[in-house]
Amino acid sequence: MIVLQLVVNGVLLGGTYILLAQGLNLVFGVMGIVNLAHGSIITFVGVFTYWVVTQTNLNPLLLLPLVFVVALVVGGVLQRLLLEPLAKLGNRRELLSLMVTFGLSYVIVEMAINLFGSQYVSLPNLQETWTVAGLAVNEALVVAGVLGAVISGCLHVWLHYTASGKALLATSQNATGAVTCGIDVRRMRGISFAIGSALAAIAGVLLILILPLSAPTADTLTILAFVIVALGGLGDYKGAVFAGLLLGLVQSGVGYYLGGDVEVIVPYLLLIGFMVLRPQGLGQAAR
Amino acid sequence: MSGGTLRARGGAFLAPLIAVAFLFAATAVHAQKPIVVGASISETGPLAVDAAYHLKGIQLGVADANAHGGWLGRKLALKYYDDQSNPGTAVRLYTRLITEDKVDLLVGPYSSGISQAVAPLVNKYERPTPMPGASLPAIFSASNKWAFQLLPPATGYLDGILPLMKSQGAHKVAILQAQLSFTLACGQARLDQAKALGMDVVYSTTYAMPPPDFSSIALAIKSANPDGVVVCSYYPDAVGLAQALHRIGYAPKFFAETIGPAEDQFISALGPITNRIISNTSWWPALKTHDNAGFIARYKAMFHEDPDYHVAATYSAMEVLGAAVKATKSLDPAKLRDWIATHDVPTVEGTFKAGPTGLSIGFAQYMFQIQNGKRLLVWPVKDEQAKAQVPYTGQ
Repeated sequence: MIVLQLVVNGVLLGGTYILLAQGLNLVFGVMGIVNLAHGSIITFVGVFTYWVVTQTNLNPLLLLPLVFVVALVVGGVLQRLLLEPLAKLGNRRELLSLMVTFGLSYVIVEMAINLFGSQYVSLPNLQETWTVAGLAVNEALVVAGVLGAVISGCLHVWLHYTASGKALLATSQNATGAVTCGIDVRRMRGISFAIGSALAAIAGVLLILILPLSAPTADTLTILAFVIVALGGLGDYKGAVFAGLLLGLVQSGVGYYLGGDVEVIVPYLLLIGFMVLRPQGLGQAAR
Repeated sequence: MSGGTLRARGGAFLAPLIAVAFLFAATAVHAQKPIVVGASISETGPLAVDAAYHLKGIQLGVADANAHGGWLGRKLALKYYDDQSNPGTAVRLYTRLITEDKVDLLVGPYSSGISQAVAPLVNKYERPTPMPGASLPAIFSASNKWAFQLLPPATGYLDGILPLMKSQGAHKVAILQAQLSFTLACGQARLDQAKALGMDVVYSTTYAMPPPDFSSIALAIKSANPDGVVVCSYYPDAVGLAQALHRIGYAPKFFAETIGPAEDQFISALGPITNRIISNTSWWPALKTHDNAGFIARYKAMFHEDPDYHVAATYSAMEVLGAAVKATKSLDPAKLRDWIATHDVPTVEGTFKAGPTGLSIGFAQYMFQIQNGKRLLVWPVKDEQAKAQVPYTGQ
C-alpha cells in the first residue's frame, strides 16, 4: 500500500512538474531560447491570485481564463517588443535573448514585490483529501495533475492536428524549412511566447494552491522547469511529460526512503546523469 | 603699518570668535544629527515572513524613542538593507553599515544562520550588537565579546512538548529539522531530550530550504505512526508540512512546529487544519512584562495588526540599547558593551540578562496552541490560558 501511495504521490507531483515546464518547453522548442522570466511569471500570477482571492473570496480556479488571456496578450506584446528585434542578430540572438529574459525576470519579480510583497503566501482552497481504495488523494494536486495532463493533451492535438499547430511544430523542427514552405516564422515565434506565458500563468494559479510561493522564489521554479525540459529533451513536449512524471516518481521514492535532504538534489542528479549518458533526453526514448 | 597692526590685532581678536562660532555651529548641527541605527533585514527570500516582524520591532523602537525626544537629545533614524535571507549578503551589508554609512548603533539581523555570519564582524569592529534573531547558542561562544542574545536559546524551543506528550502517555515521536543553524540546534536538543525522557524517536529527518515537496516525508511519518510530530521549522516549511500531512489524511495526536504558527498568515494560509497545532514563543500579550500593554497598543496603532514574539525581541533590543545609551550618556562602543554585559534590563520580552559570553539567561520560553483560530498559552502551567487540547485532528 505504501508503494502504491508513493506512486500516486509521484504521479500527482509529476503532473505539477509538467504544468510547470510546458510553457518553458514550448518557447525553447520554437524560439530556441531559455525564457529566464518563466518562473517570474508563475510567481507573479501566484501571488496575484493570492491577493485577489484574499480580497474577494473568489474561487481561484475562476481566475484561470482571465490570467490565461491576459498573459497571452502580455506575452505576445513582450515578445514583439523585446525579443523579436533580436531575431535578426544571428548567433548573438541566443545570448542576447538570455540577457533580455534575465532582466525581464527581475523586473517582474520587483513588480510583484512592490505590488504584493515578498512574503511566502499560500491559499487554503481545494484542500479536501479523499481516500480512494485506501489511498489518500488531495484535491489541489488532482486538479493540478489533471490540468497538466489536459494541457499536454491540448498541446499534442493542436501541434499535430491543426494548421497553426503544425506550422509551429515545423518552425520548431526547422525554421529555415518552415520559411520555404511559406510559414510566417515571426508570427510563430510570437504565438509560442504568448502561449508559453499563458501556460506559466496557469501554473501560477495552480501552484499557489499546492506550495507556499513568494515572488523571489521565481529563480528556483525557472531552474526546476529547465531541468524538466532538459530531461525531456530540450523542446520536446512529450519528453517533458515523461520527465515530469519520472522526476515526480523518483522524488517521491527518494523522499520517503532517504529524506528531504536527498530529495531536493534528485532533479540535478538526474540532469547530470542524463547529460552524461543520454543527452538527447527522454523524448527520444519515447518516440 | 598701524593698519597692519590693527588687522593683526583684529585677526587675533576675531579668530577665537570665529572658532567659537564654528564650535557652536558644529554643536548645533551635531545636536540635530540623528543617531543612526543600522541593520540588515531579510525582506526577500525564505525568511521574509518572520523577518518582516523583526523589522517592525525596530521601527516601533525607533518611533517610540523619537516620541520621547530621542536619546541624548538626538532623534533616532533607522538605516537598513535587504539581505535576501543570505548570510553572505548580510555580512557585506553590516560591513557597509559600519565602515561606509558609519551608523552609530547596530541591531542584529533575523535568523540564527545570518546572525552567526554577522557576529564575527561585530566582534572584529568592536560594535555592541543586540541579536534579536539569534537563538543559536553557538554564536555566543567564549570568543564573543560584542554580540548579545535577545532571544531564549534555540535549545529551549518547544522544550515543553515532549514532557507534555509523556504526561499524557504518548511515547513515540517524529522529529524533523530544516537544514539551518537554528532549526538544527532546536532539533538536536529535542532528540537529546527524547532520549533523556526515555521516549522512542520513530522517525527523524532533516530537509533543505527552500522547503521540498513534503508528500514523501509526510508518508514516511505516517508509516512510522508516531504519537507526536515535532518540527523545528520556519514559516514556509511549517506551512508545507502541515499541508502535506493533511493531504495524506494523517493527524498525529500531538503536532508541534516552531516559528511558523506564530505568524497570523499561518492560520489564513492553512485554515482549519491549524486547529490544535502547538508552537513556542518567548513573549505573550498576557504576560506582565515591562510596559507590555503599552507596547501592544503602540504596535497595533502603528501597524494595525497584533505583534508576535519576533517584534517583542527586536523591540527589546531597542530597549536594551536605549537603556545603555541613557545610562552611559554615550555612544562609545566599549562603554555600551560593558554596561549591557553587566546590567539587567526590564523589557517587553522579560528581563534581559546576559551571561558571560553574551548568551541570554533571563528570558523564558512558553508554548501556545491554536484553538479554533485563536492562540492560547498552554505551557508552562503557571502561565496557561487554557489546557492543551488533544488529539490534533487535522481539521
